[in-house]
This record gives sequence, structure tokens and C-alpha cells, in this order.
Amino acid sequence: MPHINTLNRRTLLQMISAAASLPLIAMAPRVAFAATGQVVIRIAQDITSMDPPNRTGTIEDNVLQACCQTLARFNPNTLDYSPDAAKVITQVSDTEITFELNPGQMFSGGYGEMTAEDVKFSFERFLPAADGTKVAYADDWKALDHVEVTGTYTGRILLKNPAPALWLIGICDGSGTILSKKATEALGEKLATTVIGSGPYMMTNWTPNESITLTANPDYKGADAPAFTEILLKPITEFRTALLAFEAGEIAFCEIDPTAKPEVEKIKGAVMLQKDSIDYTWIGLNTAKAPLDNIKLRQAIRLGVDMDMIIQGAYAGTVGRAKTLLAPGLLGHWDAAPVYARDVAQATALVAEAGAAGATLTFTCLNDSISQATAAIVQANLAEIGLTVTINALDGGAYWSMGEADKSADLEMTLITYSSKFDPGFQTQWFTGDQVGLWNWQRWSNPEFDALQIKAGSIIDPAARAPMYVRMQELLDQSASCLWVTHGAKIFVHAPTLIPALLPNGSNWQLRFFKPA
Amino acid sequence: MMLGRYVVQRLVAAALTLLGALVLLFVVIKLVPGDLITIMFGPRATPALRADYAARMGTDQPVWVQLWMFLRRAVTGDLGTDVISHRPIGTMLAEALPNTLQLAGMGLLLAVGFGLLLGVVAALRPGTRLDTILGVASVAFITTPSFVVSIFLLLIFAIALNWFPVTGAGDPASLVDRVLHLVLPSVALAIGWIGYLARLVRAALLEVMAEAHVRMLRAYGVPERRIVGRYALRLALIPMIAVMGIGVGDMISNAVFVEIIFSRPGIGSLIYNAIEDRNFPVVQAGILFTVVVYVMANLAVEVVNALLDPRIARSLQEGV
Repeated sequence: MPHINTLNRRTLLQMISAAASLPLIAMAPRVAFAATGQVVIRIAQDITSMDPPNRTGTIEDNVLQACCQTLARFNPNTLDYSPDAAKVITQVSDTEITFELNPGQMFSGGYGEMTAEDVKFSFERFLPAADGTKVAYADDWKALDHVEVTGTYTGRILLKNPAPALWLIGICDGSGTILSKKATEALGEKLATTVIGSGPYMMTNWTPNESITLTANPDYKGADAPAFTEILLKPITEFRTALLAFEAGEIAFCEIDPTAKPEVEKIKGAVMLQKDSIDYTWIGLNTAKAPLDNIKLRQAIRLGVDMDMIIQGAYAGTVGRAKTLLAPGLLGHWDAAPVYARDVAQATALVAEAGAAGATLTFTCLNDSISQATAAIVQANLAEIGLTVTINALDGGAYWSMGEADKSADLEMTLITYSSKFDPGFQTQWFTGDQVGLWNWQRWSNPEFDALQIKAGSIIDPAARAPMYVRMQELLDQSASCLWVTHGAKIFVHAPTLIPALLPNGSNWQLRFFKPA
Repeated sequence: MMLGRYVVQRLVAAALTLLGALVLLFVVIKLVPGDLITIMFGPRATPALRADYAARMGTDQPVWVQLWMFLRRAVTGDLGTDVISHRPIGTMLAEALPNTLQLAGMGLLLAVGFGLLLGVVAALRPGTRLDTILGVASVAFITTPSFVVSIFLLLIFAIALNWFPVTGAGDPASLVDRVLHLVLPSVALAIGWIGYLARLVRAALLEVMAEAHVRMLRAYGVPERRIVGRYALRLALIPMIAVMGIGVGDMISNAVFVEIIFSRPGIGSLIYNAIEDRNFPVVQAGILFTVVVYVMANLAVEVVNALLDPRIARSLQEGV
């Protein structure tokens, strides 16, 4: 007897259930890693200009370093460096570096093999033009005189003066990117959104505000073979959205706000990575504006502000307290710098001595939550020593416009965060006299400090340079113009299946070294 | 004839509105502190670099020259080139436009569909428990900001249930993926308008249903479903269509928040990022587009309204 299927109530319910579950199968959670070896990484904003001399930020730097080569490059997670495009690179004197390129390094897009001419072309683009105009990153190669090509693969980098920072902020960094001369000339202004390099990855697609695709370069024959066939960079502006995307498995790596650390610790399977940064956040006091031109008042504020409370209250205790400009680990870090503990009685007495009791001061800061929390704590702290603080929280555009046309003259107390490079001279340069009216918002200047800035920047020997930077920090401390808050921390969350690589500052992501666990 | 004159009058009014909005936009932008080069390059923004970029953006010209250039460009459709990426601004808008239109379109569809449905259901059962529940729900929808709705939708449907993706607009080659990426943002965008339209339709329908001609239809024995679907609803839709002009503008402006939260590329996120960077040529072009859409949507609504109700065109002609 043949078996006949009959449609009964039970069968109908089963069919409906099966049909209803189909969309759920289609919507099954996606993972950040596909079988093809793709990894998806969040970037905080889209790229804008990829041309090395006028690149716009660290994200561009990170993409350039993945797709292009430099003569020497930083090793994974350290500031030690090794040859990259160069087979040999040697500092033969304080003002001369010689190099020999590896043969057979091909630029993508059919632009041919890398030669010493490309190196000369790439580096000399940083030199001022005949009319004196300079590119944005001109100062990274400020010491460069010219590059002499001595053979197809060999050349000499000749400097005008010794440049101790050149390796860290020039040769190994984004400013050391070697581009194809032929491609650069052919692309013209398209160079801002196109990358023609010879590195482990190639930028194969850019969908504005949506994604940047880096694909493994099949022609790359160097030592840093790409671990993924594809790295997808997704611009996600809001860090909360990025966190949700991480939880949903859409991205495998993202930086998080330090205050979200406790929340992230609860995400199952998430690996947290913290890098103590070398950046610096401080409260700058305008030494040229009354009543802050009185050093006693500045000293009073330094004793009146509870920095530990700021670290706990504004940063949720996720960062360490800074005691000086240069972060631990950097050349010239002043280990013996004083740590000022809050002393309300002494601070109140100093306010009285300065004749500033009852004074009103404006505290200017960015309008992010950490800055505003810091401002509120400072406001409460200083109220206890007889000072009234009004808070002026600005968006980034309005805030950073203080750096032009002497707009900073009217600032009083300002919360400032600057990003750093690995050479101390980069950090100290903003505190010199010639930066008053530009980026020296304390408007403090000291001839000894300025002289040391020049001297320490023109000698190679680290042992001789270090005490000079320590002395500069002593002078800053004596001025009581800067209240150091923190060197910050970069906190990342990543999938357990990924091993990221970051330089010690946490800002430079070495995408070429990212690999599966 | 009467309708033709009405349309011409509306077009002139739309052009004047557009001109006023553009001038206002220009003035407001001039008052905002901060500039692109300082934000982009920070301390690396040398005076020479600043001057170079100012020349390329035209901001080194007198204000009236800048205004004239801006208006001329707006009229000719030449939106210029982004000074940072060197890409034509028109291309940047064209790339972002489909995503915003899809989002606003889907939001509008959901708002009209569900708003109409809930409004009719509530109007057909006035004073019942269902009517009360729908009333409370509608008010809750109206009063909850779209960014709050967005977060809850993400937490429930993307994180807890894992049904929908969190970010992006989806793979352009996959329609299913595009639709999946559209669901949560469009619901977040539409939900306020669902509540608003539901209330509007309910009130209008109840008013029409109480009118004499409806009572007459009932007296003739016309079925209730036919009375509502064929006669009453048509009249009740007039106030809904009238507010849809505002609705389109609201959808596009709210799309800014939704696009940021869902990290969707679109006109909203393009304008937001450009404002953050003080990239004013891009801001001007983006807002110009939204103003044009808003004005055109209102124009279309006024014409449709005049078609549905000839008294509107007549009243204008008579100066009422």
C-alpha cells in the first residue's frame, strides 16, 4: 500500500515553523573572520588624504605603512627597527646615511620596480618649494639637504645638520614612505585617495565612509608576508556603535574609550589590550594674562587641583598620573620630577599672597565627557581655595582654532592633550617662545629652554641629549605653567583569534604584522 | 488653469525659500569658529599651507564674493572639488545619496504604512481598550527620540537576537544584505512618524465618519468597509499628505543621527563629518541638497493637496 502524506494540523505547524526559521538562518551572526582570511578592523574615521607629505593623520599613516615600504621599519610592537625596502642602510656620519635597496621590489598597478630615484623623489617632496611653501609634514625632513642617487639601487641621504629624530619620525615613519615617482606624477591629485606602494598589502578599494580594503600583495617578496588575504577597515565614528559591532562579531579589533573598560570586561571572549601611551594631557595656565601672570597663583592652583581625583573621576582610574612632560620610557624622561599632592591650606595661603581671593577664571576644554568631567572636578577643587571657575567646553573645530592668529591670548586655564612621537624633541617643541601665539597656549617662554631645544635637536648622542631634556622639564616645572594630568592609555578590544601589533604609543597600528592567533 | 497658476505661484515661493535658506546657511557657516586646515593638520598647519588652502577654498576672498560664488555654483550645479581628497563634491554626494534615499524612502514607507494602519484601526474602534493601547503606543513612539530607539533596536535585534547587522549599508552586490542593513535604521527613523501619523489619521477619520454624507451612505446601506475605504479615508488622508512634506525633511534631517549610530554612509554622515572638520564646501553642498529635497517635497505635497481638494487652489486664487 503506498504511503500517502496527508496535510494535518501538526504537519502544517511544522511547515510554518520551518518556513519561519529560514530568515533566521539567513540572519545567522556573522563572524569577523571569514574562511578566506579576512579580518575586519574599526577605524575611528575615514581616510582623507593619503599623500605622505600632506597626509592627515595616524589612520592614513597606518594604511601607508601596510601598503608601502620605508627604507627601515619598526619591528612589531617595539621602536627597534630593521631594514625594509633597504638591503643595507647605514648612518656613516652625523649628516650622511647610505642605503642599498633590495632588487625586484615592484610597485602595484604596474608601475615597475623601486629604484633609488623613487627614494630621492619621495624624500625630496618634503623640501620647501622654490617660493618657500612647505608641505604639512615638512618638518619631519627639516634636516634633509638632498638625496644623491649613486646607482639603480643605491644612494646617499645628505643632511644639513645632525638630526637625531630622523630615524624615528622620518625614515621609519609615514614620512619615510617610498612612492613610485612614475605613479605619483601620473596620478596627480588622485594621489590623495590612491596608494601605489610595494608593501605587503595593496589598497584595492575605498568606498567612502564605508570601508577600505587592503588585499595581500602577491608581488611582495619582503620579510613581512601578509597573514590575511584581506584586511577590511571600517570607519565607525561612534565608539559605542563600534563596541556593539564588536559584540555582534562584525569587527575583530577596535579602540575603546577608557571609561568603557569595565563594560568591555564583561563581553565574553573579548581580549583587552592596554598600551600606556606617551601622549600628554595637561592643564595649561596662561602666564601672560592676569591674574595668572602671578606665579604664586599658579602654584596655588597646582596645589589646589586634586589630580588623583581627576584620574579616578574622569578617567575611571584607567590611566596613570603624569608628573612631567615626557612619558616614562622616552629619552629624557625626568624620573625625579615632583608629584604635587593636594594641599588646600597651602594653596589657600598662596591665593591670598597673590591677592587673587575670589578671582574668576575660565577653564577651556573640549566637549567630550572626560574633558568635561575634568573641568567639573577642577571647578569644585578650586572653589575650596577661593577661586571661581567657569567652564567653556568647545567642539574640536572651535577649540583647535585657538592655535591660529594669536586667538589663545585670552585663554586662562586650558585642558590640552597632544599626541606624541618617539623623539622627545617633538614633544618639547610646542613649549618654546616662537610657539607663543600658535600652540604654546601657556605663553611661557624661557631663553634657556629655547636654546636647549635647538641644541638637543642637533646632536646624535642620546646620553648627551637626555640631561638637556630633563633640564627643560625642570624649567617647565619651575614656571608652574603646566599641571600634568596623564600620558593616557590606549585600550583596545579584539577577538581572541587575532594577534594585533601596535607601536608603544598605541596610535600606530602595524597592520602588516596583524595575524591570526 | 487655476491649478497651473497655483503651481507657478508655489514654484516662485519655493525658489525664494531656497534662496533665503542658502543665504542663511552661508551666514551661519561664516559665524562658526574653526577652520579645516587647523583641524586637519593641527600644529603642522603652517601659515603658507593655510593660505594655500584658503585660496583653493575661496575663503581668502571678500565675503560678498564668496556669497556670489556660492550662489552661482548652487545655481549651475557646480559644487566644486573637496580640497583635502581632491574629489569632486558632486561625486561625493552622488555616492552618499542612494544610501540616504533608501533609508528615508524605507522610513517613509514604514511610517505611512503603519501610521495609516494603526490610525484606521484605532478610528474604527474608538473608546475601546485597543484604541487606548494604540493611543499610548503612538504617543510613546512620538516622544522617544530616534537615537534612543536606535540604541534599543541594536541591543535587542542586533546583539541579543543577532538578527540584523549593526553597521554599514551592506554589500552592494547583495540585495538581501542591503535590505538587512536597512531594517533597523529605517524602523528607528520611522517610529516617531508612525505614532504621529496614526494619531493624525485617527482624528481625521473620526471627524469624516461623523459627517452628514457618511451618515447618508450608511442610511443607504453601503457596507462600512466600503464607506471607510472608498469615501472617508480619501478625505482623511488630506491632512496626512499635508504633513508629509515636513515628514520628508524630518526624515532626511533625522537620518543624520541614524546614519551616525548605525555607521551608515549617507548624506547625513557626510554632512556631520564635514561639519566636524569644518569642510565648509562639502557642508554647503550637502545642506543645499537637503534644502532642495525639502522644498521640492513640500511643493509636491501642495500640488497633490490641491489636486485632492480643489478648494485649496481656489482659496489661494481668491486670496483667502
